Amino acid sequence: MVRQAGAETIVKVSGLGKFFGAHKVLDGVDFGMGVGEVLAIIGPSGSGKSTLLRCLNQLEPHSEGVIDICGSRIAADAPLSRRDLNELRRRAGMVFQSFNLFPHMSVLRNVSLPQERVLGRKRAEADERSRALLDRVGLGAKADQYPARCSGGQQQRIAIARALALDPKIMLFDEPTSALDPEIGLEVLAVMQELAEGGMTMIVVTHEMHFAETVSDRVLLMAEGKILEEGPSVEVMRNPKTPRAQRFLQAVMNR
Amino acid sequence: MTWQGLELVAWGIPWTLAVTAGAFLLGAALGVPLCAMHVSRSRVLHGLAVALIVALRSIPPIVWLFLLYFGVGSGYLKVGAVQAAVVALGLITAANMAEIYRGALRSIHPGQWDAAQALGLPVRSELVDVIVPQVFRVTLPSAATYIIGLLKDSAIASTIGVAEITYLANFLSRKQFNESLTIFAFAGMLYILISLPLAALARLADGRLRARVAQ
Ligand SMILES: Nc1ncnc2c1ncn2[C@@H]1O[C@H](COP(=O)(O)OP(=O)(O)O)[C@@H](O)[C@H]1O
Ligand SMILES: [Mg+2]
Repeated sequence: MVRQAGAETIVKVSGLGKFFGAHKVLDGVDFGMGVGEVLAIIGPSGSGKSTLLRCLNQLEPHSEGVIDICGSRIAADAPLSRRDLNELRRRAGMVFQSFNLFPHMSVLRNVSLPQERVLGRKRAEADERSRALLDRVGLGAKADQYPARCSGGQQQRIAIARALALDPKIMLFDEPTSALDPEIGLEVLAVMQELAEGGMTMIVVTHEMHFAETVSDRVLLMAEGKILEEGPSVEVMRNPKTPRAQRFLQAVMNR
Repeated sequence: MTWQGLELVAWGIPWTLAVTAGAFLLGAALGVPLCAMHVSRSRVLHGLAVALIVALRSIPPIVWLFLLYFGVGSGYLKVGAVQAAVVALGLITAANMAEIYRGALRSIHPGQWDAAQALGLPVRSELVDVIVPQVFRVTLPSAATYIIGLLKDSAIASTIGVAEITYLANFLSRKQFNESLTIFAFAGMLYILISLPLAALARLADGRLRARVAQ
């Protein structure tokens, strides 16, 4: 699917580096993306995909370079104040591999609480929006249950609704289906595909090669903290240029 | 043993409860900053918390009690027996509760912090809405066990003359030598009678919380 790549840039990363102690896990990462684009990040585990995503919303402060995202500029030596940080995080929703729903709150509360605390919505207004979003991900009937009673696929769809409830400008997905059985993963991928078709800007770290090839506009292939290949999805997936990328794609395609 | 005797020992119940509850509330409250210091990034605060916790836990409760009551209390500050007992047991409780909180904090999945932060929740909401309720839930069974231990430890307040169960039993048995066995058996029974509902209450609360999240 080819989308009109928006003239407007929403993410621009230059010279991004990240150290954990003496270990450099991101090294000279550069990329940009426009509004409405869907970017897939693939690569072997340990290559720094999660860390890259976590730098984008500053769950991990980066060590080098500049990140421009949703109108915030974050330089490594000029971290955001907690206030600006929260503003950035409101605009950049994140979905985790392990769902991370709040287990002591009902499904409805999980989706409504952030709206009340972050956007200052009234309870009734937040609940109304939550129910609409839960309906949209096919879980309207689960609103009053607790997360423990929901399957993994349902929990992940609830987590997506929770993030969407803050009206983000971009959604960051970190291997959203890796903890799920393949069939269950499909129901989550379907929700994500619908989001993409609705024009949401998305960065998706994934091992789902089919999703990367068919839903995303562009693919970044990472290895050892660097971007190895970048380009239109089909091109990167079908005709990788570097031997390292060829090896990786061969291995995952034959799985 | 006469009815009057039983009645006299039973008059100790309010003081036993007061010392136990007072010490627990004090300790549960002071345990929070102590735990915060322990997990703090500041080396100084961390070191101070470790030192305090070790000191509070290594010295026998009765020594703390005498230190406060006869040591501090006889000098500059006038300290009443009940206050001394509450503060001495409360400080020890603070050290133990800090460790219970810390264990509970560690048991919270790191993804809970990630999610709260990724949603942009203000720090206050991150703690009050997300972390503390989960810590509280994990803490509940250990805290209940601790209170029951504390109830028994409150008997040391008898040594400085707080008129709680053990003090009154001791007082009575000195006057009625041949009744000592019955008197102390009765005192023991009172402790059991107080513990049982406490344990039942804790189990009930724990069960309620569990059942709710399993809905
Ligand atoms: N919090 C952390 N502390 C230390 N090292 C980390 C931390 N998080 C990730 N790493 C290391 O950084 C590297 C990249 O990890 P990650 O970004 O999770 O890779 P991926 O998501 O591609 O599997 C790995 O070597 C990992 O061990
Ligand atoms: Mg990862």
